[in-house]
Amino acid sequence: MPKNQYINPDEVRKPGQIEFTPIPVNQYSKTIEEEKVNFSNEDLVRIYHDMVVIREFETMLNLIKTRNEYNGVEYNHPGPAHLSIGQEAAAVGMAYTLGVEDFIFGSHRSHGEILAKGLSAIDKLTDEQLTEIMDTHFDGITLAPVKAGHTGTTKELAIKFLIYGTLAEVFARETGFNKGLGGSMHAFFTPFGVYPNNAIVGGSGDISVGAALYKKVNRKKGIVVANIGDASMACGPVWEGLAFATMDQFNELWEGDMKGGLPLIINIMNNQYGMGGQTCGETMGYDIAARIGAGVNADQMHAERVDGYNPLAVIDAYKRKRKIIEDKRGPVLLDVLTYRYSGHSPSDASSYRSKEEVEAWEAQDSIIWFGKELVKAGVATETELEAIKAGTTDLMTSSMKLAIDDEVSPHMDIEKQPNLIGEMMFSNQSIDKMEDREPEVNHPMEENPRVKQLKNKERFMFDENGKPFSKIKTYGLRDGLFEAIVDRFYKDPTLIAYGEENRDWGGAFAVYRGLTEALPYNRLFNSPISEASIIGTAIGYAMCGGRVIPEIMYADFLGRAGDEVFIQLPKWQAMSGNVLKMPVVIRISVGSKYGAQHSQDWTALAAHIPGLKVVFPVTPYDAKGLMNTALQGTDPVIFFESQRLYDIGEQFHEGGVPEGYYELPFGEPDIKREGSDVTILTIGATLYRALDAAKTLEEKYNLSAEVIDSRTLVPFNYEPVIESIKKTGRIIISGDASARGSFLRDLASNITELAFDYLDAPPIVVGSRNWITPAHELEDYFFPQPEWFIDAINERILPLEGHVNENDFTEAEQLDRNARGI
Amino acid sequence: MAIPVLMPRQGQSVESCILGQWYKSVGDEVSEGDILFSYETDKASFEEEAKEDGILLATFFEEGDEVPVLVNVAALGKEGESFDEFKPGGETTIEVAPAETIEETPKVVEFEVEDNSPNKRIRISPLAKNMAKKLGVDTQALKGSGPHGRIIARDVETATTEKPAAQPVVSAAPKTVAAPAPSVVLEEGDDYEINSISNIRKLIANAMFQSLQNSAQLTHHMSADARKMMKLRKKFKKEFAEGNISQNVTINDLVCFAVIRALEKYPQANTHYHGDKMKWFKKVHLGLAVDTDRGLMVPALKNADDLSITGISSQLKQLSTAARNGNINPDLLNPAEATFTVSNLGNYGVEMFTPVINLPQTAILGVCTIVPRPKEIEDGVYGFVPMIGLSLTYNHQALDGGEATLFLAEIKSQIENLAV
Repeated sequence: MPKNQYINPDEVRKPGQIEFTPIPVNQYSKTIEEEKVNFSNEDLVRIYHDMVVIREFETMLNLIKTRNEYNGVEYNHPGPAHLSIGQEAAAVGMAYTLGVEDFIFGSHRSHGEILAKGLSAIDKLTDEQLTEIMDTHFDGITLAPVKAGHTGTTKELAIKFLIYGTLAEVFARETGFNKGLGGSMHAFFTPFGVYPNNAIVGGSGDISVGAALYKKVNRKKGIVVANIGDASMACGPVWEGLAFATMDQFNELWEGDMKGGLPLIINIMNNQYGMGGQTCGETMGYDIAARIGAGVNADQMHAERVDGYNPLAVIDAYKRKRKIIEDKRGPVLLDVLTYRYSGHSPSDASSYRSKEEVEAWEAQDSIIWFGKELVKAGVATETELEAIKAGTTDLMTSSMKLAIDDEVSPHMDIEKQPNLIGEMMFSNQSIDKMEDREPEVNHPMEENPRVKQLKNKERFMFDENGKPFSKIKTYGLRDGLFEAIVDRFYKDPTLIAYGEENRDWGGAFAVYRGLTEALPYNRLFNSPISEASIIGTAIGYAMCGGRVIPEIMYADFLGRAGDEVFIQLPKWQAMSGNVLKMPVVIRISVGSKYGAQHSQDWTALAAHIPGLKVVFPVTPYDAKGLMNTALQGTDPVIFFESQRLYDIGEQFHEGGVPEGYYELPFGEPDIKREGSDVTILTIGATLYRALDAAKTLEEKYNLSAEVIDSRTLVPFNYEPVIESIKKTGRIIISGDASARGSFLRDLASNITELAFDYLDAPPIVVGSRNWITPAHELEDYFFPQPEWFIDAINERILPLEGHVNENDFTEAEQLDRNARGI
Repeated sequence: MAIPVLMPRQGQSVESCILGQWYKSVGDEVSEGDILFSYETDKASFEEEAKEDGILLATFFEEGDEVPVLVNVAALGKEGESFDEFKPGGETTIEVAPAETIEETPKVVEFEVEDNSPNKRIRISPLAKNMAKKLGVDTQALKGSGPHGRIIARDVETATTEKPAAQPVVSAAPKTVAAPAPSVVLEEGDDYEINSISNIRKLIANAMFQSLQNSAQLTHHMSADARKMMKLRKKFKKEFAEGNISQNVTINDLVCFAVIRALEKYPQANTHYHGDKMKWFKKVHLGLAVDTDRGLMVPALKNADDLSITGISSQLKQLSTAARNGNINPDLLNPAEATFTVSNLGNYGVEMFTPVINLPQTAILGVCTIVPRPKEIEDGVYGFVPMIGLSLTYNHQALDGGEATLFLAEIKSQIENLAV
């Protein structure tokens, strides 16, 4: 919380009332005749054309899904098709005014928006630009099928390219816009400003905010439109995105040209149904979705309901709202009223609505109505409009033929390249900065107070006599993290960091102390306490080309960002066909002392999800080196830190933590103590308890323990561990996570499979209990303690002479605990 | 006062024996030296004599029972004397499972059912199993010190580092030949019967099979001019007949002597192969294949390189006699005890064969019969010379063909230039 914002009790305690300004509903009333000053005849016909293209595209898919054929061509498409027949005017109206540099994000029902924005971009791009875009996308692989035999103009070719690329993507063809890895619900094409569509309801609600943040922070042209459904307005992450997007600080604290709101339009494609649930009258209470704007900020998000059955009404709204955004008064909320004739999906029997209702909307069909109006106004003749329809049918037929031809449009050949998708999970690049320009900082790095202070710290924990330096003098793990992060802030101009208490406070655990002084608000700021938006916006930010460090204060709060961490962040690199990179380093601290909801090690949850890299360094040297690697990379990294260890000094790396830049490779476990009789492999802070146990084993039982710190969970190189087992024949795997379903179990299982012949006993997991984490006073019964290791060895691996177990590591106990689920 | 009769302990790795046959029945009068019963370990069979005169008061086990060593099997004494105190399971606690106490816990988790059959499942760690295989340690005989009595690496280590038993005291006078283990007729048909096979047969079968499964064996054949050796044999025979020496030195003894000398020059053949490492021996422990009624036995002659030709001769004689009588120290039959084996089928007229290696040893020499073969005596002049056949099987994992050939040629040379 900034000190310069004084909360005056006299002010805030005054009586009063909140005044709302009226929210316009369907206020547009111009005729085509009146609009002729704003649109040429060609413009108006193009609007008609674009709507027809969308209608025909969706109709084609509907016929393929329901009848296995379109226009005499047979095809079976087993995948999804969430169609937007009826919503064409809303899509075209939304996209018509958008420039190529304006980005749209969408939902599972976004074919129409892809085509509308694509057609809009094609109209605005020059032939040269189009050629360049088409030639370079996957080196022309998507273009080749439509280019062959094409005789028309470049723009006509680009339209074919758009239809084909989208359709091939829907049909999971390698020639699709995303190599067929996205499919119907996730197709997109960034060169036309079409950003990922999202099959999770409301998925774009926070990601798009991050995209707008990217545009603002990096001074990029253009606005961002989030096309989300009316039903998604009940989703938490959408509300979190709205809260993030409307933070006061953009206007109150951000300085200079950064002052002002986000260039964002939350465009509710309000087709009035969420699957079968009627949002007005049944599943929601807002009545008119535009009302929501009034609950979010004083500007009421400039909310307005627009008639989405009239493309010109939507275009009119976009022209007006763009002005607001250009005045830095965003974000804007639009409630674009529309209706889908098609069901939620082809399996939807529309049992939730009456035939009369559908027919009433069809009677006002936007394409038919708009066509009549064009004819009436003398803009086009019926024949011309019919020709557009006929041409579109031909376009769809030829595109479909190409897209279903296995020779021209093959699926990925996984048989020939069994690891093809695997190789696409990570981009694995090493990039200093995501953009080449001068980073925005407040002073040279060497003038930073924290940087100066670190100069006087002891970078190794012990003096030459082996005596530890005082805590205050010791360079700790938090200092290692700071050095890596501050270094990157001075290297990569796109890097931003945010989370709870990141600014002023310096992070809840003082990692960022000193960064506030070094960085302007637009690079380091406090977010709402709203994990979904913290991660969701980071995803949008990275998708657009930035690098970002969002922070989740406690691992326990990961669940609050479940969709973002588990569904969005890990998937987009592969789902985009490697078009997108995802340089997001999520810092997550693992707590203790704070009881059941603040002390969980959830490394296993992150490690379980394909597409995330997971690290958990526990020494200053490792923390700095692995953070450098994380920030040099282009992949999402879940960077765990232990709250027990922020002040711990470096006790392993000779010479202490280097002052200069260095990277430590992901995936390499590190031997922290050499030994020959038993291996102890640890995840996280348990390392230090394992080292205590190793000392006792040596002194009391003459048993030499080798202690290995996993450092990284994903990726993980088992070879050093297997080498250790070849030497010791025995292994204990330990970490602070509740043992059931933990990564410890995964390690144990792989080790058993990989080192079976060298094992003198099964790998034994010493994890935390499957309980709530109790209060600090009882924690020693929950988290692995040094004596647990010795007891486990004695009971399950190698009976130790004279040792009497205090803790029950018997098989009977293990069976019983499992049988009882505790 | 009555006295107990113990199941003797034969070799320190033996934990229990199978009681073979009672030669006396309860109530029989027994004199000191009378054979009471026969018993067998997994490697050999033995007979137990009465240590005192008396009446066989009681027997505690039946034929075919597996009896832990040092447990009472019978009681001897005067008629009417009490023998209850000798009953195993009284105050004797060795290897007798304590009465099970049933715990009052709601769930009793049983992991292990004690199985005393000879082929019981052994609880052993993968590492210990691999080590035992490489080191030639018999896991059946090991006692596990790990959880639930699991045999773990340290148990195998202990078994291999323990000093081998001292030279066995083998009685000079051969005892009566023990009856081969009785084979039980399992099934009888019109023209066949199916018999059980003895423990030792199973053991040989397994060892031979394992050997061929787990090593890369091949055999080189060569023959050596036996004239020198035959001359020496004649000389020793004469000296023995005249009483000048106590040992009748045989051709086999002389071949063994030559082999030991060759091994000293080619220590790579005096090795054990353990997959990822080789054990090089500083001494030669010579295994001698002995054909017995019970099956093939290969006792080891420890430190054979220290012995003179008569020493070798006398010791080999003792070992083979003990093996044939079934009272050989079982520890000496462990293939890991010998560093190299000689198998002689020359007496049976075999001209060439491919002996099977006793793993973990690296090689074995088959000695064949002496056959007169044409040989160039001097320039262009040929004559028939008695040649002894030598068949060296070696593990190609451990030795290359060149080394093996040179080693075999060295044996040949030693035989041809024998100096004893």
